[in-house]
Amino acid sequence: MPDQLKVRLVTPDRILVDQTVEAVEVPGKSGYFEVLYGHAPLLSEIGAGEVRLHGGEAGEQRYVVARGFVEVLPERVTILAESAQKPEEIDSGAVQEQLQHGEKLWNEAGDDAEKYAHANEVIAEAEAKLESAGAGKH
Amino acid sequence: MANVLDLRRRIRSVRNTRQITKAMKMVSAAKLRRAQERAISARPYAAMLASVLESLKRRAEIYDPETGECRHPLLLTRPEKRILLVVVSGDKGFAGAFNTNIFKATANFISENGEKQIDIDTIGRKGRDLFRRRYPAAQFSETHEENQRPDRQRGSAIEVFGGPTAALDRINYDAIRELTDEIISLYVHEEIDAAYLVYNEFKSVIQQRVVVERLLPIVSLTVREIERAEEPSLEERERAAEAALSAGVSLYPHEAEAAQKQLEDEAKNFGTAEVDYIYEQPPQEIFADVLPRYVTSQIYHATLESIAAEHAARMTAMDSATNNASDMIDSLTLTMNRVRQAAITKEIIEIVSGAAAL
Repeated sequence: MPDQLKVRLVTPDRILVDQTVEAVEVPGKSGYFEVLYGHAPLLSEIGAGEVRLHGGEAGEQRYVVARGFVEVLPERVTILAESAQKPEEIDSGAVQEQLQHGEKLWNEAGDDAEKYAHANEVIAEAEAKLESAGAGKH
Repeated sequence: MANVLDLRRRIRSVRNTRQITKAMKMVSAAKLRRAQERAISARPYAAMLASVLESLKRRAEIYDPETGECRHPLLLTRPEKRILLVVVSGDKGFAGAFNTNIFKATANFISENGEKQIDIDTIGRKGRDLFRRRYPAAQFSETHEENQRPDRQRGSAIEVFGGPTAALDRINYDAIRELTDEIISLYVHEEIDAAYLVYNEFKSVIQQRVVVERLLPIVSLTVREIERAEEPSLEERERAAEAALSAGVSLYPHEAEAAQKQLEDEAKNFGTAEVDYIYEQPPQEIFADVLPRYVTSQIYHATLESIAAEHAARMTAMDSATNNASDMIDSLTLTMNRVRQAAITKEIIEIVSGAAAL
């Protein structure tokens, strides 16, 4: 089909996803956006959240990603993320630990804006993971 | 002359050793294959990061148009007075000159920069143990005030930092990221003026070299800044090729991976399309965000390559050991047979001369 979108999800370790889909939802830093075939070229950072693939060969797919950015070209979307997991791979114990670690950082951050932002990032990542792990069970 | 029984024992012992070295060789070959795959599958990410940075660089206005000053702290160059060395070594020995070469390169670098203050950070147990024995650890005084960096109490010109302690087999991106964050914060706070990476580069089984590469400041994104490199001799290469052949490891993994190659080419074009992107965030912001990741991916990449190189070196060393053991068994067997023959001959002579005397 001519109007299909190539999506690639790349992590430091390997290329996690390389397939064609109809649409992909990406968690941009300033909110989710959905990309269809023919989207204008776009470069954005991604926040913690889910990448959702719609209408691919393997059906609906979700990946929890954090820390990275995305390049959108009319016929191709490439997502670079430092961490990317399937919701069912998430270890909720480890995430809880991460969440607590984030909260500890948050409490210790004081007036330091940099530390504060870092703590918020850690918390957001953990919460995004928890949310999608929970959503997968329903 | 040694007697037959002693020689037989010796042969048995050498044979046992050969068994062990052979097994180690095969294990290393298997691990090498895995490490190679890991290193190769990590390449697209690194390549994409580099190319997106390169394209951003043009738009991000890193240099202030009025004063021509650099806006990002990681791109600033200062006279090098304090240097951080990140030494990537192996976790275990029995890998021929692998670790020694790394340490030699580090020692050379240190002696060339004798008048400067040098800090050493290590990845890999062998390096950590060695440098901790040789140089004092860095001392920091505890500060309880918030927002203040701990004071450095420098006692000696060369000191050692902690570095990640995870076993290399299990090292992951997060551990490297923590290390990089530390290095970057040192650099940004002007506690170091440059950072170098010493590691074993792994192109293929027969193409490896010890490389000293500059990490910070970042001057060029596309060209790697290699300070010095030590190539293996032709003889060593032949040795490695032989070992790889007998262990069934392909010498040129890239040949089989045309698809991978294409991917890498595509990765190089990532983010560089000749179109005007819509930037969700200001380009400067994205640039500042991506730059530390670039440094992390460089260190990560070096670590993965070094792991592959370590297994390759061990495989070669163990192959040599196996061959040497075989040679030794041959020569011992020859000696043993000679001794036995001599004993028999002597007995015959005794019998014959005894009979002749009758």
